[in-house]
Amino acid sequence: MASSLNPVAEQMQTIVVGVADFKISTEPSTYIVTHSLGSCLGITFYDDKRRIGGLLHAMLPASPQVQGQKIREAMFLDTGIPKLLSALIRSGAKKHDIRCKVFGGAQLMTADSFFRIGSKNIDMFYRLSQELELDVVSWEVSGRVNRSIRLNNLTGDVIVKIPSKPEFIR
Amino acid sequence: MKSAADLQTVVEMTRSIPCAPAILPKLLKLAEGSSSDLGEMEMLINLDTGLATDVLRTANSAYFASNQRCENISDAILRLGSKVLYRIAASTLTGRWLVHPVRGYGWEPGDLCRHSLCVAICAETFAKKMQIADSATAYTAGLIHDLGKFALAYANFTALDEIANRVPDEFPTWREAEKAILGFESTEVTKALLENWGFPSTFVSVGYYYQIPSEAPEEERKIVTLIHAAKHVATQLGYGVGVDGFYYEPDEVALKEAGFKDAEMDAAIPEILATIQRFISPTGEIRFT
Repeated sequence: MASSLNPVAEQMQTIVVGVADFKISTEPSTYIVTHSLGSCLGITFYDDKRRIGGLLHAMLPASPQVQGQKIREAMFLDTGIPKLLSALIRSGAKKHDIRCKVFGGAQLMTADSFFRIGSKNIDMFYRLSQELELDVVSWEVSGRVNRSIRLNNLTGDVIVKIPSKPEFIR
Repeated sequence: MKSAADLQTVVEMTRSIPCAPAILPKLLKLAEGSSSDLGEMEMLINLDTGLATDVLRTANSAYFASNQRCENISDAILRLGSKVLYRIAASTLTGRWLVHPVRGYGWEPGDLCRHSLCVAICAETFAKKMQIADSATAYTAGLIHDLGKFALAYANFTALDEIANRVPDEFPTWREAEKAILGFESTEVTKALLENWGFPSTFVSVGYYYQIPSEAPEEERKIVTLIHAAKHVATQLGYGVGVDGFYYEPDEVALKEAGFKDAEMDAAIPEILATIQRFISPTGEIRFT
């Protein structure tokens, strides 16, 4: 990997985001990483003026509407995205300077009635991006690949890894 | 790297891998049997130091511990019960086999183990919710469903790279590419391994038919379909999914026939994920007990 030859990259600390979780960082020399998105979506937000970044790994499109039921907000796009945005803004990011990139949403083969989480997630993200007026600058979604992503909090670049392929940057 | 060889060669090569889960069928039989089998179970567990350690550690964990410490396997068996004990054995023995570093399918070390564990947990959850199979059997079937792929990767064939290069442009599914390039499917390797180790026919059928449950013998079709469903849900979750993962066709006829509903499977995901995250850390470390 080219990054291991870069002395700056070697000094970067790494924060790992699990499924149904998000993390933010105000520290530029940081990678925020999440592994194996599958049909989940990995969404990065980055304020390049202030070098504040965040990453959400959401599994499902919409939270269940059951009164009194406790949910993990980061598991769902409709609750996780607003939660991450608020956390970024509380940390000093400005909404109009935040750029968004979206990854994942892999889809199984011709399944009309089953296993459509990938496409449901992409549809929901598209809807939310309109409603929340997100500045989405990169879409690396759908297809039949399992993606892992790494947000470079110094540059806003996202390094994408898929099995058996070289890494690439979005 | 080797070129393609026949199925029997692949099976023979895996005989040299230590820690094969070959004592599992014996343990399964004992776990289903009467209390008089406990002595034999104790003897089997004591043969494997790593397994005995895991059993004792779990029996003395915060979840199971009472005022008295378990000092030996016999006490641990009584405290845990045969079902829990069997689950520990299945995870420990299969997991130990599956974490051997192998190249193939674009896996990182431990990926097949992570994926198999997810399939096992999905299968166990659906078995409980739908009551179409014993949950311990479903869990084990999930763990062992893809042993043939491990064997192929262990054999280190260049043919695996060729398959990856020719799917989907020349072959729409991974199965079709395996048949054309290897001359056999990984499910045939799984079947041969499980038969060699004396696994009951249910597990052999799961390993052989889980990609095409409609073709499974009628008496075993439900559990085969259960693993088929669990496999696809686990694939969507992403843990340990290799380059082949999204190139298998769902068998909608079998799924509908067995009573699976998409919305119900999606609704089970938060519970499934909570269980998975007890065993797999965000960085991918696996902890079986």
